[in-house]
Amino acid sequence: MAVQTDVTTEEHGGVSSGAHLIDPIAVAIRTRHPEEPPSGRFSETDPSRGLDIARHPLVAKILHDRKFQFLMILPNQIIFWLVIGIGLLGTVVPGLNFATAITWYLWFCLVFVMMVVVGRAWCAMCPFGGFGEWVQRHAFWARKGKSIGLGLKMPERVAQYGFLLSVGAFLLLTWIEEFFNIAGPGNPASTSYMVLGIVSSALLFFLVFERRTFCRYICPLTALIGTVGTMGSVAGFRTRDREVCQSCQTKDCMRGDADGYGCPWYTWPGSSDSNSACGLCTECYKACPSDNIGLFVQKPLTSVVAPSRRRADVAWSIALLFGLVLYQQLNALTLFANFDTWLNNHTFFPHYPDPISYLGIIVGVAVLLAGVAWVFKVAFARADYTPAVSGRAFSDRTSTFRAYFLPLMYGIIPVVGADYFARQLPKFFQHLPRVPVAIGHLFGFGSTSSSLYNASLISSNAGIIAVQVGVIAAGTLASMWTSWRIAGRDLAPVGGNKRVVQISAATLALAIGVLVAVLYVLMNAAD
Amino acid sequence: MTATISTTETQAERHVTVLVDRCAGCQECVIRCPAGALSMEPVTWTAIANDAMCVGCRQCERTCPFSAITVDGPLAVTERYDPPIYQPVELRNNVEETRRGYDTWEEAIAEANRCLSCPDPTCMRGCPAHNDIPQFVAAVRDHDLERAHAILRRTTVIPDICSRVCNQAAQCEGACTWSLAGGVPVAIGRLERFIADHAAVPAPAVTATEDPLSVGIIGSGPAGIGAAWDLIEAGASVTVYEKDDTAGGLPIWGMPDFTLPDDVATRPWRQLVDAGVDLRLNTPIPAESIDQLLTVHDAVVVAHGAGVPIRLPVPGADLEGVVDATSFLKGAKAAMMPGGDPAGLRAELGVGDQRGARVLVLGAGNTAMDVARMARRLGLEATCVDWLDERFALARPDELAEARHEGVDVRFLRTLTALEGDGRVARAQLAHTVQPDRAKQPTVLKTVPDVLDIDLVVMAMGYRLDASFHEALPTLPIKKRHVGFAHGRWNASGILKNPASAYNHHNPVGSLALDREVGLWAATLPQRERVWVAGDALTGPATVVEAMAQGRRAARSILDAHPARPDRSSDFRADHQPRILIAYASAGGTTAALSQVLADALGVAGARVSVLPVGQVGAKEIAAADALVLGTWVEGLVVAKVRPAKAMRDWLATAPNLGAKPVATFCTFGVNPRGASDELATLVHGVGGTVVTSEVFGPRDRGEGARLHPTKPEAFANRIAARVIARVAAVVA
Repeated sequence: MAVQTDVTTEEHGGVSSGAHLIDPIAVAIRTRHPEEPPSGRFSETDPSRGLDIARHPLVAKILHDRKFQFLMILPNQIIFWLVIGIGLLGTVVPGLNFATAITWYLWFCLVFVMMVVVGRAWCAMCPFGGFGEWVQRHAFWARKGKSIGLGLKMPERVAQYGFLLSVGAFLLLTWIEEFFNIAGPGNPASTSYMVLGIVSSALLFFLVFERRTFCRYICPLTALIGTVGTMGSVAGFRTRDREVCQSCQTKDCMRGDADGYGCPWYTWPGSSDSNSACGLCTECYKACPSDNIGLFVQKPLTSVVAPSRRRADVAWSIALLFGLVLYQQLNALTLFANFDTWLNNHTFFPHYPDPISYLGIIVGVAVLLAGVAWVFKVAFARADYTPAVSGRAFSDRTSTFRAYFLPLMYGIIPVVGADYFARQLPKFFQHLPRVPVAIGHLFGFGSTSSSLYNASLISSNAGIIAVQVGVIAAGTLASMWTSWRIAGRDLAPVGGNKRVVQISAATLALAIGVLVAVLYVLMNAAD
Repeated sequence: MTATISTTETQAERHVTVLVDRCAGCQECVIRCPAGALSMEPVTWTAIANDAMCVGCRQCERTCPFSAITVDGPLAVTERYDPPIYQPVELRNNVEETRRGYDTWEEAIAEANRCLSCPDPTCMRGCPAHNDIPQFVAAVRDHDLERAHAILRRTTVIPDICSRVCNQAAQCEGACTWSLAGGVPVAIGRLERFIADHAAVPAPAVTATEDPLSVGIIGSGPAGIGAAWDLIEAGASVTVYEKDDTAGGLPIWGMPDFTLPDDVATRPWRQLVDAGVDLRLNTPIPAESIDQLLTVHDAVVVAHGAGVPIRLPVPGADLEGVVDATSFLKGAKAAMMPGGDPAGLRAELGVGDQRGARVLVLGAGNTAMDVARMARRLGLEATCVDWLDERFALARPDELAEARHEGVDVRFLRTLTALEGDGRVARAQLAHTVQPDRAKQPTVLKTVPDVLDIDLVVMAMGYRLDASFHEALPTLPIKKRHVGFAHGRWNASGILKNPASAYNHHNPVGSLALDREVGLWAATLPQRERVWVAGDALTGPATVVEAMAQGRRAARSILDAHPARPDRSSDFRADHQPRILIAYASAGGTTAALSQVLADALGVAGARVSVLPVGQVGAKEIAAADALVLGTWVEGLVVAKVRPAKAMRDWLATAPNLGAKPVATFCTFGVNPRGASDELATLVHGVGGTVVTSEVFGPRDRGEGARLHPTKPEAFANRIAARVIARVAAVVA
């Protein structure tokens, strides 16, 4: 009779406890010693040991449970399939349709709250990536051996642009949204098609590429969450003891083992210095054979200020994302509406938004920010400054211009994040009460004539502007502080008087804050 | 001999690309790069490569957890030198060895210089015995054969035999980093042979001991040799029972001299007998006598092999002129010996001296090749048929090439459907098959079969276990297949990433090696109390090197376990400190904490204790324990599905056979354990454990003031400890 045996074939140790039974494999492994990171490389970004919430037994138990992420995703999965179905089949009144009401009055605003407070909280529960991952793993929560699909990796010539791919996707999606007036909200079916399009493209990428390539590079929201989310107070899953990680011979957190998949986000807790690419999926935590990974919280803005590695794709993403939100503010002005109409007439484009003005303003703003960085360089850079030697990829090349541009863009993250958040507030304050009405409408009660439908959390424009300006003020102050800190650490050594550089960087943040605040006031005037 | 670098201008040709966006700075590539071409970039803390130092081996590609590194360009390695095959002018009656080793140091060192000395050598994982290949190759480079033998001795006692008979293409050479990168591997087998041919394999260094452990070994094949060697060196008293009149097993009677010369095959037993092993020839041990052996030996190693030939049940299989490989090879080997009678054998086989008599050999594995090549030496025409596709052939590639060179007609994708003849076999019907995939069994096509005129049929499809042992050892043979996820270190080494190169028939060396590990670790566990099994007897037909390695594992496990027959003195028992493994499944920490309390109590009682979550317990941990304590929390809802935790149930469902080891169980519960304890005991019994005590531990047992007994964890632990220690002492006694 053949007996099935499942034996662990090798142990971490080398020599077993017996005196004679020696594992010859472990004896023969003579790997080189890993290099020590430069002193201070991680000291500013490593969270305090006491801020590891996974040390709490109940939290640990929940995080170890393979069903945890499934249960996080499941409610959103249900909601967004309802959005698809009800958007197509339900009432065409946007305010009464569950699809448009839940998506544009509540969800979009909540996503921004989550990213500012936590980071990638949405990614941990995202139904789009979640659906693709379920199919790719052919499991809801179980650890399966082989994934289905082609399992390709993103080619280097594309991957080196990092978040810029996502920014491209976000710009395209936003233009489509503006063109078809999806988020207005307009016809609920448009919202359904948009969600269906995101789910389909996510699924396609999950079947063609390995792991969460879609989430890391393509998802329209990943650049926004990966940049603005660095303000968040959750550091993500990080090493408890870097020595243990460096000497680990298996790296199960990256490769996966019986308890967990390898990190779907291509992040190693042993070297993570930001929450930017931690999807909070808990896989590394489950897979670690040494229980050396914790879930850490951190002070707000730590992941903006502390990382010493600045990436060009992140900096350009911030510049372009600021361009986009500024465009969305400008397009509410009568002056712009006239300009766009004039442009459409001369370019034979049917209606708003004209792609030339759309891209022109966004790219123009990004170039303008780059120009400001160039002015910083001209004004402050030492003549003898030599950038550190670095790689050849787009995201990691070094230059004197980049020595200014990258830190300055990191510094304005809070005000850009605040701008995005403030931009979502009017719909939230004015129309949130419509969400329960839309839910009621599904069951036969609730109409446009109900008092709740016509109620608002804040009804007056002045009230909303006050909140928006307040948000911008908070973001501006935060941005001035981050710019001050970053300038002191990263820009001052490149050249110029430290205080002057810090004041200049903080002034840039202030100027941006004032600009967007003024625009919110003018937008109201336009209304 | 040519020793040109295949890519002399290669330094500029190779380029390493690090995908900086995905490189996480884990240094898996840096610590494994054989050439030291990788280091860390301090600002971004990602890997950077020095293209000029890269040799193109792709070790970094295989080991990067995020596939963040790619290498372009050719391999920087010299051409491999293989001595030409010896081709006798007259094949008939010539059994001179055909494969030659390196004759000169220059040849050996040139080949040794091709070895990269990989920091995490995949070849060593590919070797079933896990020889430290980079080290012994380095010793060859240093002209130090004594050191080379010392390195080999750690893992093998038959390098001279293995280097001749192993299928290196599917093992060490298939797993060589050059092979995994698509190139031609280092000639590891030939270098091992060079060591064994140019410096005698050292004899066992016997350690004298008083009152030695007494071990009986059934069978003198490679598994028996491996076990006997390590036991006699450790000072044990070893008695080997061999049913044949010659010691050595299959390598002696089943391998022709042109593959394995007799003086090489008999070398281990000459040395073992000189070292004091009590070899008892012509002494078959039937299965029912194992119990009797256990009364005179402290432990028994069953290593009788798998020598029952498999016969194909086709119409005509009972015709005259149909023989099995065992009888053919034994007869042919005797006939080819000096003073043998080849003509008499031909007459005995019914082919007389007719010219062009054809033997049909069923199978195209290594045994079939031996049969066919021996038939050629007897003056017969030989045709081998195998229903496998040649791409997935079981014979070693060089053996297949040699057989064809000697005139053997090897036909793949054919299977015998009928033998015809009037009293004696005269024709064979061979149907066509198709096999698109290695993992799939071939399909027989309904096309018109080939008809082959034949004079003799030798069935050489392999062997199976002697069924009479099934009752005594019902768990055998084990299924030698790795189930579940490979250990992280196997993943990290990169051996599982690529199949071997075309040179090695694209063998899936990584998965083959993982499967072999199952056999190795199964050999460390007793299959019954004081009975270990190794070699083909454990796994079914396999290879010489696996059998030897398993025999050594069994021997070392015995030495660690220190078993004792019933009439042993208490002094003998006192020499051994009981080793106890506590494996727990804990959810909230209570079971884990209780396990630690228990460990302390067992430690105080004199045991060597290890405590592990049950998920981390494998065959190795079980092998290193004389007794187990299994603790689990009780899951369920008060009355519904109250049972041991799923983690514990899952582990027991796939655990290796516990070989009657004593097992204590305990369940921690919140409200009522109901039948959880009994269910756990039943599961333990199902995997061959002997339950010595089953306890439950509830909320009232947690404090000083509780009324129920036991009143506190320490008392509870002491009670289990007392029972386990008592039981282990009894077993040892």
